[in-house]
Amino acid sequence: MDENEIKNLQEENDKLKQSLSVKSDIVSISAHQIRTSLSALKWIIKMFLDGDLGKATPEQENLMRKAYEGNDRAIGIVNELLLANKTENTTEKKYVFESVDMAEIIEHSIFDFSGEAYNKGIEIIFLKPEEKMPALRADKEKIRVVFQNILENAIKYSNDHGKVFITIRKDGDGFMEISVKDTGIGISEDGKKKLFEKFYRDPEAQKKEIIGSGIGLFTIKKIVEDHGGKIWFESEKEAGTTFFFKIPEFKQAQI
Amino acid sequence: MAKIILIIEDDNFLQGLEATKLKKEGYDVLAAGNSVEAFKIIDDPKNKLDLILLDLLLPEVDGFMILERIRQNKEFLTIPVIVFSNLSEEKDIKRAQKLGISEFMVKSNFTLDELATKIKGLIGS
Repeated sequence: MDENEIKNLQEENDKLKQSLSVKSDIVSISAHQIRTSLSALKWIIKMFLDGDLGKATPEQENLMRKAYEGNDRAIGIVNELLLANKTENTTEKKYVFESVDMAEIIEHSIFDFSGEAYNKGIEIIFLKPEEKMPALRADKEKIRVVFQNILENAIKYSNDHGKVFITIRKDGDGFMEISVKDTGIGISEDGKKKLFEKFYRDPEAQKKEIIGSGIGLFTIKKIVEDHGGKIWFESEKEAGTTFFFKIPEFKQAQI
Repeated sequence: MAKIILIIEDDNFLQGLEATKLKKEGYDVLAAGNSVEAFKIIDDPKNKLDLILLDLLLPEVDGFMILERIRQNKEFLTIPVIVFSNLSEEKDIKRAQKLGISEFMVKSNFTLDELATKIKGLIGS
């Protein structure tokens, strides 16, 4: 390849990067605007459901509840879109590894998802160890995406009034292991083989949540592996699923 | 005496819904749609504010800049500020936390009841 060809390829590459960045900004801005409209809908329907605007008939209430759930699903899709958009950028960007307090990420995430959990009557229980856990060597923003994706799935696929248990522990091999256990529908036999494939959606999951992108688990597996970690699950049909991931502990000389 | 909350939100419709809910909960509510209106209220010593509810994406001067200016004023060093926005990236949360906030809530993930409960936890009813 001569110098001119290399130069042309570099120029083409720069143009592609630029258009990807413009696309990413468009997705991000649109998602924000859509979220604003969906927030308004969510609050108004909730006012109807709470009887703030007068007592509804059982039929009206039933329809309003369906509208509320449909709206929440749409919010979930926008959240997935943002995740996919962020991950597309992630592959372009280097990871910034630092010392990360996982318990803090868990506690903040529980707060962020408390509304969703409350609506389904699901209790999130963080079995936080009494002693302070060692920090992770991780990219804080990306590991937050990993945890929140697993937690969101646990809530989404749990049966109403179920429980979600979260643990964190040292595994003894220089890794910290985090687990999220739900009391949900479980994963099908087919799903057990293909769950981390791009665009795969478990048939059991589709019964529960019709809409989903099938990109979340594929994305977070890549993030965990880029950290030198591992992600896996144990699942029993109708009894629930536990997701585990482990990430190396932070050691001073690693950065 | 009722506690006073300032809502800084440029979307009139959302601002109206938030104000209606908080008034119903027994708070006095003042509202601003941009930084000029916001500082007119904040800088008026007659308004003894107890909490500020702050959106981030605002025309011209954004919520981060407003927050920065609020914290520069000695009188408002410790006033509780809840960011109520549809931004949710870690960099936005970190930036707001650095400037000093009580809570960062993503609008689409919470109902107004949950917002009211959070406010009650911070300043009482």
